[in-house]
Amino acid sequence: MKNLRIARRYAAALMAYAEQSGNVDQTARDCALIDSVLSTSRPLRMLTVSPVVSPLKKTSVFKAIFATRINPHTMTFLELVIHKQRESHLSEIVQVFANLRDAKAGIINVDVTTAVEFTPSQENDLRLRMERFTEKKVRLRLALDPGLKGGLIVQIGDRVLDASIRRQLEILKARLVEPGPFSN
Amino acid sequence: MAEVRPDEVSDILRKQLAGYEKEVDVYDVGTVLQIGDGVARVYGLSNAMMSELVEFPNGIFGMVLNLEEDNVGCILFGESSEINEGDAVKRTGRVASMPVGEQMLGRVVNPLGQPIDGRGPVRTERLAPIERKALGVIQRQPVKEPLQTGIKAVDGMIPIGRGQRELIIGDRQTGKTAIALDTIINQKYTHLEQARQSRIKPVYCIYVAVGQKSSTVAQVVDKLKQEGAMEYTTIIAATASDPAPMQFIAPYSGAALGEYFRDSGRDALVVYDDLTKQAQAYRQVSLLLRRPPGREAYPGDIFYLHSRLLERASKLSDELGGGSLTALPVIETQAGDVSAYIPTNVISITDGQIYLEPGMFNSGIRPAINVGISVSRVGGNAQIKAMKKVAGRLRIELAQYRELEAFAKFGSDLDKSTLAQLRRGARLVELLKQGQFVPLPVEKQVVSLFAGTNGFLDDIPLEQIERYEREVFELMDLKHTDVLRSIAETRDIGDAVAEQLRSVLKDFTDTFKASVKA
Repeated sequence: MKNLRIARRYAAALMAYAEQSGNVDQTARDCALIDSVLSTSRPLRMLTVSPVVSPLKKTSVFKAIFATRINPHTMTFLELVIHKQRESHLSEIVQVFANLRDAKAGIINVDVTTAVEFTPSQENDLRLRMERFTEKKVRLRLALDPGLKGGLIVQIGDRVLDASIRRQLEILKARLVEPGPFSN
Repeated sequence: MAEVRPDEVSDILRKQLAGYEKEVDVYDVGTVLQIGDGVARVYGLSNAMMSELVEFPNGIFGMVLNLEEDNVGCILFGESSEINEGDAVKRTGRVASMPVGEQMLGRVVNPLGQPIDGRGPVRTERLAPIERKALGVIQRQPVKEPLQTGIKAVDGMIPIGRGQRELIIGDRQTGKTAIALDTIINQKYTHLEQARQSRIKPVYCIYVAVGQKSSTVAQVVDKLKQEGAMEYTTIIAATASDPAPMQFIAPYSGAALGEYFRDSGRDALVVYDDLTKQAQAYRQVSLLLRRPPGREAYPGDIFYLHSRLLERASKLSDELGGGSLTALPVIETQAGDVSAYIPTNVISITDGQIYLEPGMFNSGIRPAINVGISVSRVGGNAQIKAMKKVAGRLRIELAQYRELEAFAKFGSDLDKSTLAQLRRGARLVELLKQGQFVPLPVEKQVVSLFAGTNGFLDDIPLEQIERYEREVFELMDLKHTDVLRSIAETRDIGDAVAEQLRSVLKDFTDTFKASVKA
């Protein structure tokens, strides 16, 4: 999450390029693939960030893994990133690209933490409500936290809607205990 | 004694709980990217406002000072050791504020309004933002009422008015804090019934301690309590062990509290002790936020730091209630260098300065005020007529004395008028000496200076002058309270009163001279 400036520039360039050649969806799928491979393979990650391995070697490794599985444009992009010696930022670049893509497609990520497991119909219901609330397409990401004791927490970007019992208890406690200078 | 039944209690609790079901707490969060040295960089918080308070885990608060492209820089008002990278940071939605109200009087608090005197929480009705834009020109009126410090040298020659900013500047250990404390102690009379009858408004005091030792602050509290001054004073302390952000905002908290009194039509006095340490704390904070350093490593807006603070001290127009906030900032110089960066900045902002010299202090002239280079740009407008009459010649006579001081060594080889001037000057200097914590009411100061400038002391030996003054006051208190009261109420010395005073002093001086010879 640090130093996103570099990632942002490269991702924006890739997006512009993809839009120009009309294959944003394809590029997005390619980036998702690159992201998942990088996150699951530690050796590949180590190789990518290592300053000892030569750019030539890195390019040949990436070609060997991805050439047949992704769009030639995306492959060219990978080669450019390595050539510019920014390959250590690769995972951030693809993540930012995914964010850009979501923004363009009007998709928003909503993280919901619940105290109990949700059934598929509850999940669907929740997604529909979120879509009505945000007026965007919603990608729901669920997590479980029994510590909430009940209710749920919905996080959209920076904003958190906390309807958990745990929070209510915290507020109740704060109000019953002597008020401090900030609870006027 | 009424009884509370257990089912009453559970009933009340149930009602309280019932209301909570429908509430959803909404807040903005960010994540800590980097933490250290009292500064945190936070990712997210895209809606954060400048100077907004944000909450870190473990109840630590911070203030947003840097709004950058991809992160927010916050300074912490607590230990950064309890916060980790990746922790969630919540917006409070509130710009940094301070509780204000009469409940703050008599209390010792930190710059966030939290009590540190162990007497329980301070419950006020209002919160005022710490940073506030000063009022414009139209909302003000010129300073015209005196703020009596009780110190003869100050009230006579460098008078301070209500709504003025007067700088107290000098090296370490020259009596800067002493002047401020005496001024606070002297405001006691403004809260008495007599003052109200003389149409003198009460003055509420705020003492802001920045970067001082906690033991020093404790001593100050103790002294003010002893003199009965704590009832109308609030102390805001950000001591040396408090984080730099606390020390940096402390004077602003003082100003916020002072503005509360000012805006409600009352008069307030705020002492910033001292601004040098606040500048250093701000420098630390700025450098840690990676703002570019300027001269002496101070940030570029160090002038603005002090100017916006001091501009909040003002006298309001009558339409707005006629209240005032007087500021007494303190600056510590190094080796008497008033042309250093920070001192010159603050001198150019304030309406005058009281300059204290270590040389004078060490030779026994206390308060060690160098009247020659001390100035009050409000001057006579802040003096009662009586004082103007007696102190008018004081300045000139002292100036002439200083010029001739070098010739004092020639002793009897000088002409009569020079000798007379030297005698008069030396006695005036002796008269202006004053002990600590014994501020004088203005009518007594007038009597004392009247005696001095009208030559009643010219034949009294120097070492007897202190006794002379003491006994004059005893005499006035015993037999001539009408004179004192007349001066206090009319704020002037009419010709009749002057005559009376002259004859009283003549008789007293004759008796005194006799007692000296004996």
